[in-house]
Amino acid sequence: MEPKQPPPSGEDPGKLKLLEVGQEITVPPKTRIVSQGEAPQAFYVIQSGKVKVFRETADGIRTELTELGMGDYFGEVALVTGKPRTASVETVEETRLIEISKEEFDQVLDHNPQLARHIIRQLASWLVDGDQRLESEVVHQVKLRQISWFDYVLMVGLSIVFAIVFNLYNDNQIPLFYHPGGKDAVGEITLSQALELYRKNEAVFVDARKNSFFEQRHIKDALSLPVIFFDLMYPMFEFMAAQKGGAKDKPVIVYGGTPSRRFDLELARLLNKKGYEKVMVLAGDYQAWQNTFPLGEKPAKAPAALPLGLAGFIEWLPLSIFVLMLVPPIRRSPYLSVICRVLLGWIFIQFALSKIMRPAVFALNVVDYGMMPAWGVNLWALVLPWAELVVGLFLVLGIRTRAAATLIGAMNIIFIVGLVNAIHHNLPINCGCVGEAGEPVNWWKVTKNAGMLLMAIQIFLYDRIFVLDRGGFVWRERRI
Amino acid sequence: MKKSLFKFVAVLVLVFVCLALGGCGESRTPYAATYKSVEPFAGKGHVELELKENGEATWTHLGKTLKLKWRVSDGKIWLYTKEGGLLIVTPAEEGKILSADITGEWHPGCPPEQCVLFKRVETGG
Repeated sequence: MEPKQPPPSGEDPGKLKLLEVGQEITVPPKTRIVSQGEAPQAFYVIQSGKVKVFRETADGIRTELTELGMGDYFGEVALVTGKPRTASVETVEETRLIEISKEEFDQVLDHNPQLARHIIRQLASWLVDGDQRLESEVVHQVKLRQISWFDYVLMVGLSIVFAIVFNLYNDNQIPLFYHPGGKDAVGEITLSQALELYRKNEAVFVDARKNSFFEQRHIKDALSLPVIFFDLMYPMFEFMAAQKGGAKDKPVIVYGGTPSRRFDLELARLLNKKGYEKVMVLAGDYQAWQNTFPLGEKPAKAPAALPLGLAGFIEWLPLSIFVLMLVPPIRRSPYLSVICRVLLGWIFIQFALSKIMRPAVFALNVVDYGMMPAWGVNLWALVLPWAELVVGLFLVLGIRTRAAATLIGAMNIIFIVGLVNAIHHNLPINCGCVGEAGEPVNWWKVTKNAGMLLMAIQIFLYDRIFVLDRGGFVWRERRI
Repeated sequence: MKKSLFKFVAVLVLVFVCLALGGCGESRTPYAATYKSVEPFAGKGHVELELKENGEATWTHLGKTLKLKWRVSDGKIWLYTKEGGLLIVTPAEEGKILSADITGEWHPGCPPEQCVLFKRVETGG
């Protein structure tokens, strides 16, 4: 602190009076001079250097209000109102200030109406500016939390367009819609007629489904010929059929259709092309054979788990987030929203990348769940991975995050329903979530998806920082 | 306008880089070769399995050739049929022996009744 020099004569009287009081101090850079919330003790006039004025909320969101330089002053608001400091002030560089105590400041105001008017004018102008800022911030926040149909149309539309275009150029492309074809080319046989042939051993029964379904339950003594491996397995089938005394003129009865894909019709047609003259499919309900024929059964066996590597570990993260959400202050934190967004986005991008390149494999996983009509299987298998990728990227980049979280939540609900249905029916299937094989369906998968659903809800409710949304990018330190 | 276009292009590039990285998998070179089944398949004729370096494969049995695709992941060979069927093949003895699980599912050990054993007959795909 240095003794003050008397002001030169002939200067502005207001300034003269102000400079006559107080003491000069020099503050090093990055030093806090005034702290928000503390009782006011002094008023400051900057002689040289720079300071920044900012506010900080209880949860750490810092808003920079302004930067002041030579000739500016601060600290008068709290002195005039008598209330705690409304903002903090910190030096940017070494700064020389005149520190005027509260008593001195009151004295100066009493004797200097010109300065008092100036301060009142300044305070009034801040009030008006503050109102305008408040209005624009409210508008911004409202826009930030708005969701419009456009957001959903944008994300779903992008997914469909990307899926179709990518499929056109993908070596492993599949048709958009699966056509099982009509029944005309293949004859049907009723359950009772088929049962009669079965009892007389006058027909060969062929199961068209995947091996795991056949292993779990099949018509006793039926042969397995999964239609997806027809070309590969046909010689084996021919060999086995010959062992059973099957000839090409003997009736062949194919079964094993599902609501999702007409495996039986497709296999019947393929066998017909191979010269089997009397190929028929079982008529009626897909499941009816299970109640009519003697069955060869094995207890349901989930596929063995194949290590999924990094993707497998990432899937566990939603459970840790779920534990964090049990703590109420953390549950509502916008920082948790950012963590949830990045994790969920990353998980969904992983999900997508494991499926996008080979949609035919994923389509068969979809078929295994038996919940999708045949016409929708390929479309779903093509679009879903792209939807996962698009919403995952939107979440990570902070674009339209509430709408993206809604879509992810909706996908999680669909996944949970599919998984619970598969568990309930003991389906021996691969999850198809992030691995093409060796990913058993179990309650852990359901729990992980429930964790992800909670993360999506947290984002929907509390996400508000690091986002690029309507009204511009919102960073942690907003400059107003 | 230019800024948003730049962002859009950046995101697209990111997506395709991810796709390229995701699609690459492990090197196919150690296993690119021609293999022949040790036992006759389906009681007659051996299967010749050719794994080409470019990710294409052929399964030839009794003069009939079937086209497949393949990749390597976690030291296992994944063979794909056009219909989406998947065969997991486990290499042994540095790729000289392959055991193909023809159930279409993953089993920790190749099921003896549904396992086709191949022996390398020619290097290079």
